[in-house]
Amino acid sequence: MAAPTMQHPSLASKFLAWIDKLGSALGRPLFSVVLALVAAGIVIIITSQGPLPARFADVVSAYQYLYAGSFGNLQSTAYTLVKVTALIFTGLSVAIAFRAGLFNIGAEGQLTAGAMAAGIVGLVFSTWPGWLLIPVMVIASALAGAIWGGIVGVLKAWRGAHEVVTTIMLNWIAFFVAAYLIDGPFQAPKLSEQTMPLSSQATLPFVSTFYNQTLGIFLPQIATPTAYTVDLSIILALIMLVVYWFITERTTFGYELRVIGQNVKAAKYAGISINRNIIATMALAGAMAGLAGSMRLMGQPPYQLIGPSFANDTTGFDAIGVALLGRTTPIGILLAALLFGGLQQAGPYMELLAHVPGDLIYIIEGLVLLSVATEFLPAIQRALPEWMLRSRKPALVPDSIGATVTDIPHGNNSEQPVEQATSGDKTATRTSQEE
Amino acid sequence: MFFQVLLRVMTSSDLWQATLQFGALLLLPALGAVISERSGVTNIGMEGMMLTGAYAGVMTTLATHNVLLGVIGAMVAGGLMALLHAIVSINFHANQIVSGIAINLGALGLTNYLLPIQTNGQGVAALANNLRLPTITWGPLARIPFFGPMLFQQNVIFYVAVLILIGTHLLLFRTNIGLRIRAVGEHPQAADTAGVNVRMLRYLCVITSGLFSGLAGAFLSLGIAGIFNPNMTAGRGFIALAAIIFGKYTPLGTAGACLIFGLGDALSTRLQDTGISANLLSTLPYILTLIALVGLVGRTVAPAADGIPYRPESE
Repeated sequence: MAAPTMQHPSLASKFLAWIDKLGSALGRPLFSVVLALVAAGIVIIITSQGPLPARFADVVSAYQYLYAGSFGNLQSTAYTLVKVTALIFTGLSVAIAFRAGLFNIGAEGQLTAGAMAAGIVGLVFSTWPGWLLIPVMVIASALAGAIWGGIVGVLKAWRGAHEVVTTIMLNWIAFFVAAYLIDGPFQAPKLSEQTMPLSSQATLPFVSTFYNQTLGIFLPQIATPTAYTVDLSIILALIMLVVYWFITERTTFGYELRVIGQNVKAAKYAGISINRNIIATMALAGAMAGLAGSMRLMGQPPYQLIGPSFANDTTGFDAIGVALLGRTTPIGILLAALLFGGLQQAGPYMELLAHVPGDLIYIIEGLVLLSVATEFLPAIQRALPEWMLRSRKPALVPDSIGATVTDIPHGNNSEQPVEQATSGDKTATRTSQEE
Repeated sequence: MFFQVLLRVMTSSDLWQATLQFGALLLLPALGAVISERSGVTNIGMEGMMLTGAYAGVMTTLATHNVLLGVIGAMVAGGLMALLHAIVSINFHANQIVSGIAINLGALGLTNYLLPIQTNGQGVAALANNLRLPTITWGPLARIPFFGPMLFQQNVIFYVAVLILIGTHLLLFRTNIGLRIRAVGEHPQAADTAGVNVRMLRYLCVITSGLFSGLAGAFLSLGIAGIFNPNMTAGRGFIALAAIIFGKYTPLGTAGACLIFGLGDALSTRLQDTGISANLLSTLPYILTLIALVGLVGRTVAPAADGIPYRPESE
């Protein structure tokens, strides 16, 4: 802390406090990532062949290729940023729900709804000029996502239906309805399980192409613009990070969300409308994820909807890792999206060159999730002597996400699922009343 | 035309045989999760546990040339995944939803990672008939028209699943242990005060759910399909989750839900002539579950302490 004798803390002490804050914010996520990488390394050692030193060499080369394939050169970085874009949108979607103590497992379904809405608008009004069609498609995707997420909020506010369950159900409904629409009403002639591609004015250009056509007129041109496949949607993703920061840190809505997320009862006493905020949060979360759908459709070849692609896509689940690893802060989400996007991009590259199956990255992701969720660090800290510990700030993510908002009183929570069939039950009930 | 096809499909014994088979496939992970959720540990990792079980079952069978050892291998693999879930959610107070998602992602990664390594990139071929789980035909009973093939000509695991269903119902509602499980899921503090070992009981329940899911995986790969394909569970673990909620966290209700969802599964491949989209039909279990959650057919309420880590006051 700053010296109490001074009226304003000196620049140096401010800087030290900032470093301290950064360290405690980065500590747990970094620890989780390192733990996951070590554990995945052990998996490689167990499954590869040859003497032990050769197996260690396998681990090293696998991780080298993971780096080279994700951020090793500009071209692979551009590929990585494509994945990062979707992860930022969906990561924000999961994160804003976390802020209110809600668990949005439905980002994948909301993404599907958004992609479908944008695709249908793009196909139906394919003759509209780009300046009109692109904004309408983007808005349609955000709206569709907001409706898909909003349903979850309404069911929760109206009937107390747990959002984890409703989002899982809505995910699968979205996948099957999308598969139906793609293989039915919007099917391309003579081709199964895909639609026609969007008309060219409905697509977003690559950043490099766009640069060549605008700033590149005055500045040096990029020689091979099509080699760098990241498209303009990355810009919108970065803008959304700022919007998210503004909403959560600078608005009443963001403040109310945090109060609800940390303590529902306190929020009720403060006169915050829980139900209205739950619906708004889920709609906003859905809109963010819906944008991920339209941006990928409009920004990346083949610019068409493909039948089973949504059910096999894991972006909405990776987003949970992104939001948790990023501790729901904008900077954290950006860093975590870079990590997860890099892993996804580099998986096939590693498989090709290091002869380690690319699905290793899903093992790594699973381990990161497990390790972020698990309070390994506090458990270790409990075991450490007291003088080694410093005071810690409470986490932004509530301890029992998903469990937090379940006990909002709805008036009819008295019904208990346990049948009072056996006499022994009464003992348990009585004990609970005495507490 | 439409009704003729529908009538023909609905009255065929073949459809109901498939319905019971798919129903039993959903029932096993669902029953495991009922036990786990009743003890207060949310389990959405059935998909991953099933997939691991399906993989381990095939690999163990191929290595030992013994399908019984394959089933045991599948159950052990499912149980190990569940043990992981139990350790992080009971001892380390991890968020159980995140842990479940991690298990689903990790299982998908692990099976896809190991498959090319263990098979030199070839994948596994279809299993020989003597390495599959046998179908049991109950002699003359199987020749009863309509009901015969449906009830008396099923895979051996189907009958195991029926036994497990009865066993789970009796365990939860007719035994002392079942009472303790439910008490731990509703009010762990009270149960602890009454001398119940909360953590031990939760460990057993979660591991049981992994064993059942692993068995379901073996049923799928060694019994129904006779092969292992990447991601072959295809979301069945999530339908099982839907069945639990639709069945209001009771074994018998869950079994009823599994039958309805099994019928949907069996119908989806048989209705192509009627013009009903298989994709739209597949949404039915999820829509029904949403309706059940909203309470139009009686509202579902989860056990009170479900998903909340138990922290004794000493910590």
